[in-house]
Amino acid sequence: MYGIIDCDNCYVSCERVFRPDLKDKPVVVLSNNDGCVVARSNEAKKMGIKAGTPYFQLAEQFPNQKIAVFSSNYELYGELTGRVVEIIRQEAPAYFRYSIDECFVCFDGFADTNLKEWGENLHKRILRSVGMPVSIGIAPTKTLAKMASHFAKKYEGYRHCCMIDTDEKRIKALKLYPIGEVWGIGRRYAARLEALGVKTAFDLANHNETWVKATFNNIVIERTWRELNGIDCVPNEEMAKKKSICTSRSFNGMITDLDGLRTHVSNHAARCAEKLRQQGTVATIVGVFLNTNAFREDLPQRCSFQETLLTNPSNSTITIVKAANEVLQKLYRQGYHYKKAGVIVMGIGPDSPYQPDLFDFNAEQFEKMKRLDAVVDRINKVNGTASIVLGSQQYTRKNGKGKADVVARSARRDACQSKNAIKQDFKSKNPTTRWSDIITLK
Amino acid sequence: MANIKIIQGDFQQRLKLQFAPGIKAGFPSPADDYSHETLDFNRDLILNPEATFYGKVEGDSMIEAGICDGDIAVIDRSIEPRDGDVVVGYINDEFTIKYLDLRHRKDGYIELRPANNDFKPIRIREDDDFEVWGVVVWTIKNWRKY
Repeated sequence: MYGIIDCDNCYVSCERVFRPDLKDKPVVVLSNNDGCVVARSNEAKKMGIKAGTPYFQLAEQFPNQKIAVFSSNYELYGELTGRVVEIIRQEAPAYFRYSIDECFVCFDGFADTNLKEWGENLHKRILRSVGMPVSIGIAPTKTLAKMASHFAKKYEGYRHCCMIDTDEKRIKALKLYPIGEVWGIGRRYAARLEALGVKTAFDLANHNETWVKATFNNIVIERTWRELNGIDCVPNEEMAKKKSICTSRSFNGMITDLDGLRTHVSNHAARCAEKLRQQGTVATIVGVFLNTNAFREDLPQRCSFQETLLTNPSNSTITIVKAANEVLQKLYRQGYHYKKAGVIVMGIGPDSPYQPDLFDFNAEQFEKMKRLDAVVDRINKVNGTASIVLGSQQYTRKNGKGKADVVARSARRDACQSKNAIKQDFKSKNPTTRWSDIITLK
Repeated sequence: MANIKIIQGDFQQRLKLQFAPGIKAGFPSPADDYSHETLDFNRDLILNPEATFYGKVEGDSMIEAGICDGDIAVIDRSIEPRDGDVVVGYINDEFTIKYLDLRHRKDGYIELRPANNDFKPIRIREDDDFEVWGVVVWTIKNWRKY
């Protein structure tokens, strides 16, 4: 049996931990740049606020309504969800974190026989200890567990934990579940399936395997079909490590010059490298994309992507930033107003052991880089993100003469003042990670 | 006069590994047999790290309990609040630190009591939307400013 623990409206719930007054009130959290709504409380969902609604339209669409708005505060979300995972680690026989707000549990050989009660107690403990409400789904396969967690979220009667442990329950759940919401079925396949008359999860599970194979010839759909029928086949390893890591952001305004883009691309690349190191992996491919603003029909449009192959798989900041900037150089064309840039690293594998390229491998250099990255990670962890960055990651001063003009000490202040700095007008404090931000007790 | 017992503590990093006495050259230290893990506040005073939060005390409402302006309160959310506990609650859009008085539960209300006669107890009725945010397990006072 598998379980999934899913934080309810994760970012909103994190904000509510230190704002208990916002319980039962509409709350939204905005994307990185205060661009659009990325998380909504149930009350906000009921009001009709859609995910992705641009922030500036909120007031237009919902005049005279009180909505609590927050900028995203990943430092806070990361810390609080880390506590949730820690509790799961203590309570479960085996677990793996799937995303910031989801965690899978594997019950193989677990002595506790009453899993439904186990789930209800886990929910209680997490809610009380951290203040985070979670929904728990338990079933013979991960796909069914995910489905069960949706039922747990939707119907109060389950007391936050829904278990699919009999065929009867499985079939009942499948019949109630729209095909588009099944884990692993993308929007495109959902449309195709619906056109074929497959409206619910049951409709798909009820077809025979030959039909599924002949119609789609797609491993993911076949696997989903098997999982819906109670056959466990999504390997754990596959989910523990991500296949690709992407960091991207829309600019606050538009950028036309290469120097400006380089700063953003360097930062995204550095973040990718950091994430690779965190999960103990290396990447083989570094890709960069660069898009103009599709809403500005008056301006010339260009969306471009290119990638490069690293000679040796790496997770070193210097290597990955360098590769990303080389791709950017190739990608960049003058005369466009760019709105968004991003870096994707792919071909991810474990960071040891790997076979170095004999002609282009400097073992001494490699070790040096590794040590340097470890030190930088530590400093940034202790003193706050981006305490130490590469020169190319520094945002240029508003009226400065370029990168050389920016000294490291002022980099952070400049980043805040620069017009390209991240917009975070409604950011909450960090009461769990900074002494200066701990709550005040009167 | 208060008695003070001095306990020697070591506040270095946690999980300091001890050397195995067997592989040391020379005469073994006679104290080896008495070695044990050092005292560690994080380990010994914070029993539920994932449920522990910190707060800074502002004002004098708890001064007679010895909780003063500027003290740091260690708050554990995971323990069940009992009558007489020092607790953190959220009232009128702010966090407050008070004694929890459950003696009038059967009369339909509970009270958050200050430890200072200049302040009035806060009465919370059964149908008020109130929750104890956490229980204060320790307060930390700084005597010697660095």
